Amino acid sequence: MKWILFAWKNVMRNKRRSLTAMLITAMGTAAVLIGGGFALFTYESLEEMTARDSGHVVLAAQRGFDNDEDVPLQHGLSGAAALAAHYAAQPGVRAVAPRIQFSGLVSNGDKSAVFIGSGVDPDVDFRLRGPQLDFVAGEAPGPSEAVPEIVIGDELATLMKVKVGGSLTLLGTTTEGNLNAVDAVVRGIVKTGVPEIDRRLVMTDIRAVQRLLLTDKVGSLAIYLKDTAQTEAMAAQVKSTHPELAVRTWRDLAVFYQAVRALYNRIFGILGLIMVVIVAFAMSNTLGMAVVERTREIGTLRAIGTQPGEVVRNFVLEGAAIGTAGAVIGMLAAGATTLVLLFAGLEMPPPPGRSIGYPLLLSFSPPLYLGATLVVVALAAAAAWFVSRRAAHKPITEALSHV
Amino acid sequence: MNAPTLELAVRASTVRLTDLRKRYRVGDDWAEALKGVSLAAAAGEMVALTGPSGSGKSTLLNLAGLIDTQDSGTREIGGKPVDGLDDAALTNLRREQVGFIFQGFNLVPVMNVADNVEYPLLLLGRPPAERRRKVAEILERTGLAGLAGRLPDALSGGQRQRVAIARALVKSPSLVIADEPTANLDSHTAQQIVDLLRELSHERGAAVVVATHDERMSAHCDRVLRLADGELLTGELQ
Ligand SMILES: Nc1ncnc2c1ncn2[C@@H]1O[C@H](COP(=O)(O)OP(=O)(O)OP(=O)(O)O)[C@@H](O)[C@H]1O
Ligand SMILES: [Mg+2]
Repeated sequence: MKWILFAWKNVMRNKRRSLTAMLITAMGTAAVLIGGGFALFTYESLEEMTARDSGHVVLAAQRGFDNDEDVPLQHGLSGAAALAAHYAAQPGVRAVAPRIQFSGLVSNGDKSAVFIGSGVDPDVDFRLRGPQLDFVAGEAPGPSEAVPEIVIGDELATLMKVKVGGSLTLLGTTTEGNLNAVDAVVRGIVKTGVPEIDRRLVMTDIRAVQRLLLTDKVGSLAIYLKDTAQTEAMAAQVKSTHPELAVRTWRDLAVFYQAVRALYNRIFGILGLIMVVIVAFAMSNTLGMAVVERTREIGTLRAIGTQPGEVVRNFVLEGAAIGTAGAVIGMLAAGATTLVLLFAGLEMPPPPGRSIGYPLLLSFSPPLYLGATLVVVALAAAAAWFVSRRAAHKPITEALSHV
Repeated sequence: MNAPTLELAVRASTVRLTDLRKRYRVGDDWAEALKGVSLAAAAGEMVALTGPSGSGKSTLLNLAGLIDTQDSGTREIGGKPVDGLDDAALTNLRREQVGFIFQGFNLVPVMNVADNVEYPLLLLGRPPAERRRKVAEILERTGLAGLAGRLPDALSGGQRQRVAIARALVKSPSLVIADEPTANLDSHTAQQIVDLLRELSHERGAAVVVATHDERMSAHCDRVLRLADGELLTGELQ
């Protein structure tokens, strides 16, 4: 305790210099925490987005993910209802959603355009999974009626000059390779933020799609979990109970997530490295000056029986004190920034290929804060050790005659 | 030349230096700072080292205080040879047995009077109660009781040197080394400082070796040794 007090008094000996080192350390800590918080928030958002979009674990028949079918649903999944019921009953499962991806032409009678369609279970995809689609007009479609209800992208709606309540004809190829058509009513118009998708998206009840394609198979079954962390466990369970199926997790399907994560890890890794160098530099500079100034004092303390290791220890405590103070200030700054952003409602500009921005928020991660603090304090202590050990071993008579 | 031997002090001698030689490299040449000096001091005895500037007083004190090493000769503290001990062992010996008083006071500026005086006890790992008691006792004895909370900057030269004396003697060392302890003080204050040092070291049974230019200071010591050009001239008793 006495020694810590002594170290702190020495820190305050040259207030301006120590304060400068503290502020540099604080800025470095804050930069790492804010950058790291932003990266973590982005990862979490993308994780959630991807998992919400694709499902945590996706099942298909053998070769169901290969995209090399001759006719629609050639590698489709039969008996999907029983499988869905089986997995829906497993603990930790929120919902199981059957899917069919299909494509064809959509026509308003005057002109037609290519669409990419998604057959979904409206109960699961529009209700259980919560708000994920941004409705510009109208609402989610109901269960399949004689005339199916569809939801389309806003740009497709503009292209087809159709409003909610208007009708369109969908043309597609059946599982036998013949053309088939079905009339549908527009029930809702959505905007995903990705123009490519908004120009082509058609969503409807999977049963309507099955009627159009003349099949009772589905493309895939998406299992939604309550906890994203259980993804791998669920995938393993599926592989062991139904080895005949092909299994993918959201991670396998999330190409964008993987790319962003790799990029951010590199960017923020380099940022962290730069901060480490800056903090180490600032600390060695500050403590180095203190050591030189106190050479005579070091000689005095050595003469009256202080071991070199004890001299070094005092400087290490001093460095650790500056580092701790800097880290605390940095954490407070980063924490305050996190809170301010939570209420500020700032938007990031849309990422490439998208037309909707996302909120600028930071994740608060206790392990990140703890880790950054430990690194900063260790760095400061190491710098102190490095700059003081030579002075501590200097011949005492030499140190004493230092002016 | 034969160094004068001091048989009177041999018994019970706290510090015993025999035939010490030390030279410094100066450019391509060697400067002989000590040319075979022997000295012994007994517990409670105060020995003055006088002599002109450059005669080797500081060099001899540094060897006696174990903060430097000689080229040849031997040293004993408390009857035990100390040559050949490593740095850590010498540091421990200084910690336990040697007190230092410097010309420039050399107090730690961020520590107040009490903390400066307590420091040697802290190094020795003495329990807090004992530290408090011993510090209070010696502050009382050195007339610093009212100044315990002051920082060295707020003290006069004489007060600072009292603090240094208290710091040197609080652990009751067997040897006190004082290199020109009064050179930065006016003669009246210097007188008081030497008297205080002598009283306290007598009381606590410490041998004191003090280097001084000032003949009036040496008059207050038990014994005066005169160095000239690295050699001891006289060993007279008072
Ligand atoms: N570090 C050193 N390097 C070179 N020569 C030295 C060194 N220290 C002392 N000397 C020389 O050794 C001799 C003795 O020096 P020392 O400091 O012991 O004298 P002193 O009696 O203490 O003098 P003063 O009264 O001025 O303090 C001098 O000639 C000095 O120049
Ligand atoms: Mg000298």
